[in-house]
Amino acid sequence: MKQKKGFVLRNICGENVIIGEGIETIDFRKLIVLNDTAAWLWRQSQEMGDFTIDSLADSLCEHYDVSREQARADVERIVSEWTAEGLVEADE
Amino acid sequence: MNERFYNVAGHVFSLNAGRHDNVIGCMQAYEPFAVAPSDALVFSLRIADKPFADEGVVVEMRQQDEGQEIVVGRQQSGTPQFEFWLHGSRAAVLITSLDYRQGDLYLEGDHRFGINNALMVMYALATADKHTALFHSSVVGCRGRGYMFLGVSGTGKSTHSCLWLKHIGGTELVNDDNPVVRILDKGEVRVFGSPWSGKTPCYRNVSYPLRALVDLRQAPENRIWRLNGIDAYIAIALSVSGKRWERRLADGIHETENLLAQMIPVWHLDCLPDGDAARLCCSTCSGGEL
Repeated sequence: MKQKKGFVLRNICGENVIIGEGIETIDFRKLIVLNDTAAWLWRQSQEMGDFTIDSLADSLCEHYDVSREQARADVERIVSEWTAEGLVEADE
Repeated sequence: MNERFYNVAGHVFSLNAGRHDNVIGCMQAYEPFAVAPSDALVFSLRIADKPFADEGVVVEMRQQDEGQEIVVGRQQSGTPQFEFWLHGSRAAVLITSLDYRQGDLYLEGDHRFGINNALMVMYALATADKHTALFHSSVVGCRGRGYMFLGVSGTGKSTHSCLWLKHIGGTELVNDDNPVVRILDKGEVRVFGSPWSGKTPCYRNVSYPLRALVDLRQAPENRIWRLNGIDAYIAIALSVSGKRWERRLADGIHETENLLAQMIPVWHLDCLPDGDAARLCCSTCSGGEL
């Protein structure tokens, strides 16, 4: 899957927040607050372009001391939140 | 050269009317801001002699408000283009350089409307990376401090300013629609009057240290509370003009808004259009100074 165009992760008053700033997302009247892990995953998924639950979980394991099982569960939960909020889309 | 220079909130720009002398008649509101010719300009605008070639514009955004519309787009070549419409007829077309520092304006309809909009758009875009924000707000000065009232059109920002003028001694109107806020060196935040003031002819070249931002909402009773963090940021962001879908500009606007949200107290005021609303707002936001 991949991030939809027009969403930007910003630091607002010390919090990680995704806001819609693109032409595609200008009607997106919400701010999504991310915890530090989710914000880190958002940046990773942006660098990857195309990503999967597994590729993000691998990345999380490489950078943090966390079991593969725990990483996958965390990523799955966070990405399902992104999907529910319409921040990411499945590959066509 | 029929070129005039203006200083708004410390940023100097110029308008070159060329051989269109009639344009100068539209510029009374700018007279308090007139300065001597300068080379240090944030942008300059020229009045064009003839229409621009139709380049097949891709429209990016339409922004409508009270019979006015701004159509933002780009020509095939990438040149930014802005059309300003008033009550269904096109008043002017602006094309600019990619960095928004040079603009050409072709006037078709209401000259004053076209020039005001073109200068406001260029001002907002050319200063977006300079800790400067063009707000949609009504502003009063009171005993040496500035107080800005925010809210969507029709909320009663101007009405609330009038209530301060009537009920709070020592209050004056700074601007009724489009003031400029700057974060200056040493962390001082000031609010400045501008040549753009909506329906109220209040074109004052004055400034105040900004004491508070107040987000207004009509309500059946008067109530005020502090907005913090993201809520403060949202109130500010909804009141600042910009072209947020262009990343460089969005980064600059965000930085300014984010600093303001942390430097200046932001309040929400549920209010009636009465003197008590002004007194509650004043006594709370001034922090006991008044």
